[in-house]
Amino acid sequence: MTGTPAQTVRAFLDAFARHDVDAAMAVADPRVSVTVHPLAVHGQGADELRRVLADLVRAFPDLMISVSQIIATGDVVTALFKTEGTQAADYAGAINTEKHLDIDQAWRFVTAGGLITEVAAYWCQAQLYRRLAVKRYDEIAIA
Amino acid sequence: MTETTQRPLTAESAAAVVTEFFGRYQAHDVDGMTDLCSVNAGFCYVPVELWGKQRVLRGDGKVRTVGKPLWAGLIASFPDLSLTVHTIAGNDEGGVVAQVDIEGTQERAWGLIAPAGKHYREPHLFIFRIGPDLLIDGITAYWNDAGISQQLGHHEVD
Repeated sequence: MTGTPAQTVRAFLDAFARHDVDAAMAVADPRVSVTVHPLAVHGQGADELRRVLADLVRAFPDLMISVSQIIATGDVVTALFKTEGTQAADYAGAINTEKHLDIDQAWRFVTAGGLITEVAAYWCQAQLYRRLAVKRYDEIAIA
Repeated sequence: MTETTQRPLTAESAAAVVTEFFGRYQAHDVDGMTDLCSVNAGFCYVPVELWGKQRVLRGDGKVRTVGKPLWAGLIASFPDLSLTVHTIAGNDEGGVVAQVDIEGTQERAWGLIAPAGKHYREPHLFIFRIGPDLLIDGITAYWNDAGISQQLGHHEVD
């Protein structure tokens, strides 16, 4: 069943918000292009996207996703949302100090045939590191 | 202020406003950029967040009071500031999303970053809200400020 591009992205984000990575990946094309600018991830394939989602859920087990806006522009859908959670494992090089994270993000999706074919994620890693008590970019693991 | 056009708001006309906005940005025409915005246009540069001892300053407010000084300051610090627009996509409700790389060579202090003559290039995502009068009613932007800091040789988070 294929819905609108916005419905496809909603299904992805709803599943991600439930920490159901498998359900989120069910609406991703197996050859999905994945760009996560703050993590310097530029890859292709479902495994790449699965890793991005799973890492977040693993490091922040109480992860909460609050979508504020969905902007549909043809097959391109942009979602603005806030991620919040308490760190419980190392993430992006930052050791676990059990700090609380709240980061505003924008993810730009391209859809085709009811599947997500491209994802580009934008957030500020400076804000993320600031909240996780990282002091220097060249010493991320030293909190 | 820019002359109000009689064209209707469509995905194409909304995207054209944003194309014009980035053309003026590329020309370092800050007044021209502002002229494309409504008087009370909102502004939010999400990564702009300066932590002090008692307060946090954010890049959040209005184009004319927060956006314009930020644009002018960025161009002053990076006189060769340049933009590469990758995609612009709009809808009939006035929503426009643009992927843009911004780059420049630092000549003056920018925030906490002392000038070292280094160059940065960083991907940005801009979200615009265009009104029925084809003026920009809101600008929100996301990017990774850590990427800019590191490229400019500044390795302290704050």
